[in-house]
Amino acid sequence: MKLVQCSSEERFKFEFVFQQSTQPFTEIRKPVVKSRNWKLIEKDDTIMFGKPSSAQPNVGLSGSGAMSHVYIQHPPLRCSIDGSRGLFYDDGNKLLLSLTSSQVFTWKTVPHVPLLAPNSDSIDEGPVLSIRYSLDAKIIGIQRSNHEIQFRNRETGETFIQWFKPESESILGFFWTDCPTCDIVFVKTSGLDLFSYESELKSLRLVETKRLNVSWYVYTHESRMVLLASGMQCKTLTGFQLSSGGVIRLPKFEMAMAKSEANEKPVLAAEDVHILTVYGRIYCLQVDRVAMLLHSYRFYRDAVVQQGSLPIYSSKIGVSVVDNVLLVHQVDAKVVILYDIFADSRAPISAPLPLLLRGLPRANASYSQSSSKDMDNMETNEMNDLEGTLYGDDWTFLISDLICDTAKGFLWRIHLDLEASLVDFYFVWFLKMSIKLSSFGLQAIAASSSDVPSVLEFIQRRKLEPYKAKQLCLTITRAVILERRPVYMVARAIDVLVTSYTHSVKTGSSIHGRAVEKTSTSGKHVDSSRAVADDTMSRVETHGKSVKNESSGGVESETRQARSEIVDNESFNPTTYSTMNRSSTCLASEENVNLESLKTNSGVFPGEPLSGDLRCLGAKEDSKKQMGAEISRAEGEPSSLQSQMPGPISEQQESRVASPAISPDEMYSFVFALVDEEMTGDPAYLVAIIVEYFRSAASERIKVHPNMYVLTVQLLSRSERYAELGLFIVNKILEPSKEVALQLLESGRQNVQTRKLGLDMLRQLSLHHDYVVLLVQDGYYLEALRYARKNKVNSVRPSLFLEAAFASNDTQHLAAVLRFFSDFIPDFKSTPDHSTYLRILNEMNSPIAA
Amino acid sequence: MGLSSVTTVSEGIQFCIFDLRRGQHEGEELDKILFFFPADLPFSTQLSVIGLSEGLITFTRIFSPEAACEVIEAERHSHVFYQAEPDIWMVMIVEKNKDAEAIWRIDALQRVLKEVHSLFLMFHGSVRALLEKEPGGGLTRNHLYSFIMDYLSDFLVGKKLHLPSFRDCLKESGTVQMLTVGREAAIEVQSLVKALESCAGNTACNSLVLFQDLLVSTTLSPDDTVKLFTYAVLRLTPRALSSGLSSWSYLHKGNTASHVTSGSILPNSGSGSEQFNVSSDTSPGRQDQRYHVPRPLQRDKWSKKKDGFLVTDIWGAEVGSLISATPTVWLQHTEERMYLCVYQQKNLTIILLIPVSFMVNGEQGISLVKQQVLENVSILSLLCCILVHIFC
Repeated sequence: MKLVQCSSEERFKFEFVFQQSTQPFTEIRKPVVKSRNWKLIEKDDTIMFGKPSSAQPNVGLSGSGAMSHVYIQHPPLRCSIDGSRGLFYDDGNKLLLSLTSSQVFTWKTVPHVPLLAPNSDSIDEGPVLSIRYSLDAKIIGIQRSNHEIQFRNRETGETFIQWFKPESESILGFFWTDCPTCDIVFVKTSGLDLFSYESELKSLRLVETKRLNVSWYVYTHESRMVLLASGMQCKTLTGFQLSSGGVIRLPKFEMAMAKSEANEKPVLAAEDVHILTVYGRIYCLQVDRVAMLLHSYRFYRDAVVQQGSLPIYSSKIGVSVVDNVLLVHQVDAKVVILYDIFADSRAPISAPLPLLLRGLPRANASYSQSSSKDMDNMETNEMNDLEGTLYGDDWTFLISDLICDTAKGFLWRIHLDLEASLVDFYFVWFLKMSIKLSSFGLQAIAASSSDVPSVLEFIQRRKLEPYKAKQLCLTITRAVILERRPVYMVARAIDVLVTSYTHSVKTGSSIHGRAVEKTSTSGKHVDSSRAVADDTMSRVETHGKSVKNESSGGVESETRQARSEIVDNESFNPTTYSTMNRSSTCLASEENVNLESLKTNSGVFPGEPLSGDLRCLGAKEDSKKQMGAEISRAEGEPSSLQSQMPGPISEQQESRVASPAISPDEMYSFVFALVDEEMTGDPAYLVAIIVEYFRSAASERIKVHPNMYVLTVQLLSRSERYAELGLFIVNKILEPSKEVALQLLESGRQNVQTRKLGLDMLRQLSLHHDYVVLLVQDGYYLEALRYARKNKVNSVRPSLFLEAAFASNDTQHLAAVLRFFSDFIPDFKSTPDHSTYLRILNEMNSPIAA
Repeated sequence: MGLSSVTTVSEGIQFCIFDLRRGQHEGEELDKILFFFPADLPFSTQLSVIGLSEGLITFTRIFSPEAACEVIEAERHSHVFYQAEPDIWMVMIVEKNKDAEAIWRIDALQRVLKEVHSLFLMFHGSVRALLEKEPGGGLTRNHLYSFIMDYLSDFLVGKKLHLPSFRDCLKESGTVQMLTVGREAAIEVQSLVKALESCAGNTACNSLVLFQDLLVSTTLSPDDTVKLFTYAVLRLTPRALSSGLSSWSYLHKGNTASHVTSGSILPNSGSGSEQFNVSSDTSPGRQDQRYHVPRPLQRDKWSKKKDGFLVTDIWGAEVGSLISATPTVWLQHTEERMYLCVYQQKNLTIILLIPVSFMVNGEQGISLVKQQVLENVSILSLLCCILVHIFC
């Protein structure tokens, strides 16, 4: 594979050539962008896209200074054990297992703690084909051969073996399930056997058998779905979902397989099929090696629908999901392509870029070596080696965002760099448009500016770093307004934000999380685990310790992980939800997820989308509570580990943000108020944008911040567009409020009509006191008196009226006002006002009399 | 048969415009006449009418130097005065009939005078400015003649000129009728208006949106809104376009039968000037060729094209092209000349005003703006639906 570095002048001409070992002269040319010439610079909160001053040369494929949208963070979780016979991944418990002859070592992969010491269990010697812990972590199941599976109780050490007699069938594998009717499922060549585990009797009880021929199977605990392959080409698949709601059998379906030239029929292998869960929907990706395509299928309750295909550029493919973004690793090409399959488009959201290894001390190795002698030389060498192992043969991609280097015993977690992928996103859009430009001419220019809304949509869907996502959205929105992009485009961008906000309100993930009732419930296991998920503040309370800072990685990601699960639960249609782990499932049940909204979101397609755990409500409460206890206990440790590094306050706030959705208040204070300050020139454009915001808010039926109206009045009167201002008020586009009325009066100094509108609004709002005071100020003191009498306004000082009457130099009026107060205010005659003005009145009258 | 010849017999109406600053010297009296209706009256009569008016104006000024004379009621005639611009007077002399209403009608007639002037101002600028541009007065006379004759043609019923009656002055003339809409619709309208006004890039545009004969939105100053609204109702709204009849709603609403097509009655501009220019000392023929006089009030000159834009050849064509020149109007508030761009969809009429000074490349720029407007057509249709819904 060659990566052609472009000069800055030709940065729009890109070439990315793959040379595949099997087909030496086949070049697949794809328009590919080298986004590392572009950098997102955040300066004064304004996003600017530009080239860094000097385009730095690429340091290999994963130069540590380079930008990449996907990275793995050094250090990895090290899980190498002397005498290890192999690594296993138990996705049900998210455990990495390493076997020696008589022991099994386990590492929790969530949270990601690099230097985590393993737990160990002793097991009997003998061959091990696969090994899985039960979901309550009490029993270890070990497949010893094609006909026997051994069970071992971790507490008592008791074991028993389940045998299968017939020679005709053999066990392909097994997994534990949280299905209400059974505990463990055996996949055999003759079909599925569902057993319940009888711990007292030390035996399994057969619950149900599903008969069908099976060549191989694929299962992920995340989706609770098992796919069984049968047929000559192994391309006929039958799916079962064994969720807490019961067992659902999916209709049989065929995978698409292109024929090779020799008319040989290729056989589908288990490693070519990937089950993934994205946005709570279950998909299956299938590699078609002949056609070099990655077909995708989506599972519904009663249908499997093919969704389209993605091109692949490598014979070996790895698939990961990070924050609901699909990552397709092109292993041979050593690049990764990102897709957001929420939208219907099959276009990648990024150009293929290499995976980056971050946090490696190699960049400053030159001086660090001399300064820190304590650094082990072996270690340094190993680190230098690391880069070479990227996408090596030993890499195994684990569900859903883990990579295991089986040779070195490293476990990496994949991260998404939101900002970097955004730059790419912009860029791919731009590239697409520039291609279109040549073929369609003008049309594309309009289309190309539609990028910002899509970018915002993309960010709003990201849940792993809600604070960052929110800040990005705010910055982008401000930027597009300040750059005076076309109104319709900004309008669409605002629509995205407003819709996203209403969605988050409907589904209940409010902006500030649900940081209540933590300490009170901390006695309960489930709740304490939830508290951790909710808000790191809670940890400060429960554990009396502070949050660690960003760089150390571990707890952070754990918190995020847990939080994201809950957030997902709330903000994506939970009907289709199946990624929740046990604890979050319980949360769902306890927090009374709005079932109304669940129903409404489903059923666009033939059937209801397959759902995961939601129907568990109350099914296995006990085991879950135990599980919850386990989790909360486990989570206590890392936080104590990190406790010596207190995080800054802002970070605590940061972690409070549960969703990137932007509330109307934030819209005002972080977008419009700031933009108004910075914007120069004719405010007409900003008014247009504000109107679009009103429209968007009105269509979603949310209230905008009252200051928005005040701002609009200011802007319109600043440009002396009083006629429009009148229309806005009359049509109630600017909803009446005291603030608006006062602003109208203020702005009305130059325009009588506008002042009148303000007065009218005060009256309509029954703000009698203010109305009367203003009438007096304007010199209409008699009207003011009449109004005050009619509406029983007693709060205005009589002296105000008297002063006004005196100022008009009309003795009759002054007398009338004086009389009014003497008549209607009982003890007015004894006040100094009365005597003062009576004297003044007499003085005024005396010259005439004389 | 021209309007002038018919109307002398119909109702005793005389309508003149004169400039007190002109014709001060003996023998130059004719010079002060800028417009006279009916044009076929002998100059001596014209001069005596104007002389009388001038006398009345000067005389009343002695008693009221601040407020000029407005109406003189004689036994058989009413004299309605309106000082349109400093020293430029518009006078209408109407014969009284037996009705007692005759006196009360004055208000309506005054409004006619004001309206004529304000519309003239919008299209041609002030009379004084025209006179300064061409001191001979020929240009001004041509403009005034064709403009006012076109205006008066709306009052033609059969062969008679029916000026507004007393009842009409109680009605809606000179005001703007608004369509009341709810908040959401209002926001939609504003959103559309902003979208439209941004069509011309960063140029500060103005717009007026009408639904049928009702105003929905405006970004113009109140004065300009009234003028443009009046013109739109007269010539641009679907009703004005389709029936070809005068949309003087207070005059002829639903009264189509009494109408004759104006074409046969109105003289073309050439013959009109000829009749009129007899009064002028310059040769009428050459003068007419020298000035191209747009007649914005000429009827049946606006037509809707397939793309929804209204076009007219009133303003002539650009040199070397067949495309009609885009009309321009003069805004009083901003003191700017604006291109008038009219788009119509069903009952919705949108008037977009683009400053001439900002359009460097003239017609080309306009057609670009039009394209931009067309891209918003979907919103337009939506808005149309909303408004129909509100209206019905």
